[in-house]
Amino acid sequence: MELFTLIDILWMIFFLSLMIGCGVLFYRLGRRSESDFFLAGRGLPWWLPAASVYATHTATDTPMWVTGVIYRYGMRGIWYTFFSAWCAISAFVSTRIFRRSLAYTQAEWQSLRFGGLGSELLRGWMAGWQIFMNMFILGWVGMAMGKLCNYAFGWPLWIGLMGFSCACAVYVLAAGYWGVVVADFQQGIIALAVIIITSVWGIIAAGGPGAIVSKLALMGESWRVNPFAFTGIFGGEFPFAWFITMMVISIIGGFGMGTSIDWYVEAQRIQSAKTVRDASYSIWAGTALVLVRNSLWAVAILGFYVMFPNIPSQAEYELGWFRIGFEYLPVGMVGFFFAAVLAIHLSTISTHLNLGAMYATRDIYHHYINPRASERRLVWVGRISTAILLLGSFVYGLMMEEITKWLIFALWIMAAGVWLPNILQVMWWRFNAWGYLSSWIANLGLSWLVVWVLPAFGLIPDLPDYLQFWALMVLGALIYVPVTFLTPPEKMDRLVKYYVMSRPLGWWGPVRKEAEWRGLLHMKGED
Amino acid sequence: MAWIRRHWTPEEADEWQKEDWIAIILSTFSYIALTIGVALSLLMLAVGFIVLILGIGLSVLLFFVIDPKLKAVSSGYEKKQKEYLEGLERVQRWEE
Repeated sequence: MELFTLIDILWMIFFLSLMIGCGVLFYRLGRRSESDFFLAGRGLPWWLPAASVYATHTATDTPMWVTGVIYRYGMRGIWYTFFSAWCAISAFVSTRIFRRSLAYTQAEWQSLRFGGLGSELLRGWMAGWQIFMNMFILGWVGMAMGKLCNYAFGWPLWIGLMGFSCACAVYVLAAGYWGVVVADFQQGIIALAVIIITSVWGIIAAGGPGAIVSKLALMGESWRVNPFAFTGIFGGEFPFAWFITMMVISIIGGFGMGTSIDWYVEAQRIQSAKTVRDASYSIWAGTALVLVRNSLWAVAILGFYVMFPNIPSQAEYELGWFRIGFEYLPVGMVGFFFAAVLAIHLSTISTHLNLGAMYATRDIYHHYINPRASERRLVWVGRISTAILLLGSFVYGLMMEEITKWLIFALWIMAAGVWLPNILQVMWWRFNAWGYLSSWIANLGLSWLVVWVLPAFGLIPDLPDYLQFWALMVLGALIYVPVTFLTPPEKMDRLVKYYVMSRPLGWWGPVRKEAEWRGLLHMKGED
Repeated sequence: MAWIRRHWTPEEADEWQKEDWIAIILSTFSYIALTIGVALSLLMLAVGFIVLILGIGLSVLLFFVIDPKLKAVSSGYEKKQKEYLEGLERVQRWEE
């Protein structure tokens, strides 16, 4: 604690009280119904979910990760952080479609889009997967806080992991999503202010913008300023082919739902917005702020690089932005900086506690166990699910060192082979539940083969990650496209109902014609 | 800018039109320009300021193009939302 003076400690206590207190204040609203506990009654103006999108995607591990890619690759590393740009298209396509469906979760949306046994299997699978993923993310982010507190104060890892997550759980348990979104708003403001102050401080500490550019030139590393400094079309550590792959994944992914792991968080914010227009703007503006924040960090990290070049250990240079805060901010500001670190930590923890609990309550308990449950009971099940997620996250967090490699692989599994099916389920009427399920199952096997097994036996070379993505996409399609055509399409009644409500973009011609024939829609060109 | 339609009925706005595609393109390029523009402006590079101004301009243009359509979509949809919500709860409480 020798870094902290009395004023630093007061900053920290003040912010913690503010964050927890404001969340708890919304206790009465959160307990009214399932819709209030998980979607704030679907009545939020765009700027509240937008702040929540920004705050949630500013986690404790985010500055470490951004620092890592910028320190290693220079400004071109900014494209690693560009995956959130799927919202450029999503804000005006899949956000609009999803908001109109009114589904609480992605699992529920699939039960509206698909029907029969396949749909129920899919809902159960998706809900289970999301409960696991949220617990895992909570453990991952919690452990990042544990490491940070260990670096800053020498605390044992478990204190940082458990202490602040428990504090956060107070307002999530009390007020549900109302508490999450209100706390996110103030946490977003605090975090943005401190990110700007600390990053500008870091740039000044490095001698200012001009000095950073000229020092990099003197070091013979001017390429670090160029965001398009590729190492060739296919060769080197940063090829153009990687960039194109990233652009396709991130941007075109916006036509689908679930093409990015962040979709599931955004989906909750989309449904909590009071209108379709508010939903679109919340996703667009929140993500724009995330991208601008990344740029701010990137420049500060270039400053850190010119001050401390050639740090060999990734674990060491990843802490670069935190080092600027703890080592360069003046006395009295360090507590303010740590309060902001707490803000970004709590905003992520609160979101995933509530989101995981929503899948457990809405898709498992309410749909399968007790469909006639009262609103009061559903809110209590939401609270109990929140507590279970919290406890589970501690177990994951403490195991994290051993399992990170495997879980990153799990994330990769989720992203590559189901990327295109996640678009097809939105845009192509003929794609059915069996096609989607088969793409998941195929991807589980194929990703093991392509990433681990075949290279280990020397049957294929170790492919760079962008080639693995394309290979998994093509191989998966060889399975789920035939499965789709060999199984019947979803029933036309269901498709028409879904089409009229959600008005999806894409290849929906036969469904559209049927809806027109039934008099549910005007014929095109008709007055 | 007569080429861009500024007045919509909810039924017309529900259809996917060229304004949606223009918004998709503007949105993508504004994200790219804002990302690069902010970073290079903070390094005080002239090109950064140009790209940043371009990014802000594209964002304003995006709002100009899509906002009337989104307003019409929202106003039309909100009238039907209550009925759709009742349908959603019937599906959820499948025992009924």
